[in-house]
Amino acid sequence: MKKIMIVEDDETISKELQNLLKNSSYEVEVLRDFNHALEKILESKSDLILLDINIPLLNGEALLKEIRKKSNIPVIMVTSRVSEIDEAISISYGADDYITKPYNPTILLLRIQNIFKRIDHKIDTLTYLDLEILPSRGILKRGNDELILTKNEMIIFQYLVNNKGNLVTRDELMTDLWNNNEYINDNALTVNISRLRSKLSFFGYSDKIETRKGCGYILL
Amino acid sequence: MKLGKYIIDKLLLIFIFIVSYFIIFLLLVSFKNSYLLIISITFIYIIMGSLLLFIPYFEKKKFYNELVNYVNLLDKKYLILEMLPKPSFYEGEVLYQALYDINKSMAEAVKMSEDNIEDFKEYIEMWIHEVKIPISSLTLLCHNHKDTLDKSYLEQVKRLDQYIDQVLYYVRSNYTEEDFVIKKVELEKIVSSVLLKNKDDLLAKKIDLFVDLDHIFIYTDSKWLEFILNQIINNSIKYQRKSVKSYIKIFVTDSKDFVTLHLLDNGIGIPKSDLSHVFKKSFTGENGRSSLKSTGMGLYIADKLCKKLGHKIEIESVHKKSTEVRIIFGKNKYYTMD
Repeated sequence: MKKIMIVEDDETISKELQNLLKNSSYEVEVLRDFNHALEKILESKSDLILLDINIPLLNGEALLKEIRKKSNIPVIMVTSRVSEIDEAISISYGADDYITKPYNPTILLLRIQNIFKRIDHKIDTLTYLDLEILPSRGILKRGNDELILTKNEMIIFQYLVNNKGNLVTRDELMTDLWNNNEYINDNALTVNISRLRSKLSFFGYSDKIETRKGCGYILL
Repeated sequence: MKLGKYIIDKLLLIFIFIVSYFIIFLLLVSFKNSYLLIISITFIYIIMGSLLLFIPYFEKKKFYNELVNYVNLLDKKYLILEMLPKPSFYEGEVLYQALYDINKSMAEAVKMSEDNIEDFKEYIEMWIHEVKIPISSLTLLCHNHKDTLDKSYLEQVKRLDQYIDQVLYYVRSNYTEEDFVIKKVELEKIVSSVLLKNKDDLLAKKIDLFVDLDHIFIYTDSKWLEFILNQIINNSIKYQRKSVKSYIKIFVTDSKDFVTLHLLDNGIGIPKSDLSHVFKKSFTGENGRSSLKSTGMGLYIADKLCKKLGHKIEIESVHKKSTEVRIIFGKNKYYTMD
């Protein structure tokens, strides 16, 4: 389980953020002691830090600079200041991503997931049971059996595989698709899911994508 | 400074001078002086009189002509003292000093007012950052409790956020000189984040999207452009035509000097009579009046931001049929620095 540290001084946000991340099966630690922020962050052995820019005592950008001297742990900067300059500063100090408040929680989760995917080099080597997934070529294969997935089907399938065993909402899938510049509507998503199902049944996995009515899907 | 008017101005002096001459003339005649003396004195009188009249004229003429000339030439007329040489005569000095004092007091008043605006702007920006925090909390709360909370809560929070952004960009478009950074960005990235922001609305209202941006890069401030596009997309959503299958087409055309971004919808369109006013402040028009949510500020701010960024925004519409907004990005060397 990946561990995420929240550096945020607003109580409500950090509490709700904690719930959000826990629901997506991350382990969460909240920084309480801003006096020793750097030490606490390094001690926590987190896999990712959500760092707010407006924190007490030390500004987030300065803290990021300090962290970067000692560690290259992924950092997502979070701020309520909407400005290109602030973003450029954060990125130049070594932030992995930058997101402005108020953010869409689904998009935040997606960004976190993308960072972990990048780090774990999961982009081009993904497997599901005995199936090999080649996203860049859009191919699903087992031995010599190959099937071509469309771009949309591939995006959906990858998302399901990355969250195997967990409930994936339609909103999450939609967000991921739109984030990949595939602006499909609700009907098209349903169609894509059923095509994906029939492609999986080609390999003998016919009932692997379960529908949870009104919620979403689970890949078993 | 005109000679005729100067002489008319000095008529009283000339009159006194002439009267005094006649008194002297009469005195000279009544004391039976020689004609030669009378002629000499008359001659001296005329020369002296002319000198007294014309020396100050030429002295002043130089100063006042320069003053009038510079005032006409200068764009910022209050800078006149920077141009004007110090006068060499007393009246001029008095005027010069008065101008100096007036200028100084005006500069102080302007400075004070500028400081006030700056304070106000800073406060508004700070306030916006503050208010975004509870809005973030609300967004997270809505998301975490979506099983029990109605969707309309989140919609209202989003509306709140949009109105707040409008204030932020209104302040930025009106009261700041250089608050943006022009960078090379992929157009698709900006469009995509705007569409993602409006995903729920677009899906709920069943508006189909056709996006073809051809991996084009442009020079802009991505945050500002995001706001501009958001206003346009919001309008397309707000003024959807219910009787047809709604769509928004977003595409680019690329020419030698420009990249043009087209945002085309098949919404209710804009009446011809309103079309030329849509970028005016607080203009709501026929469509706005029938929808209570219109503030008439969105396109006004979008237009102002475009002007600052050096883009051009155009709108074309067929009433009850379609609306197309075009944003034109110049491929000027000034931006690309090639």
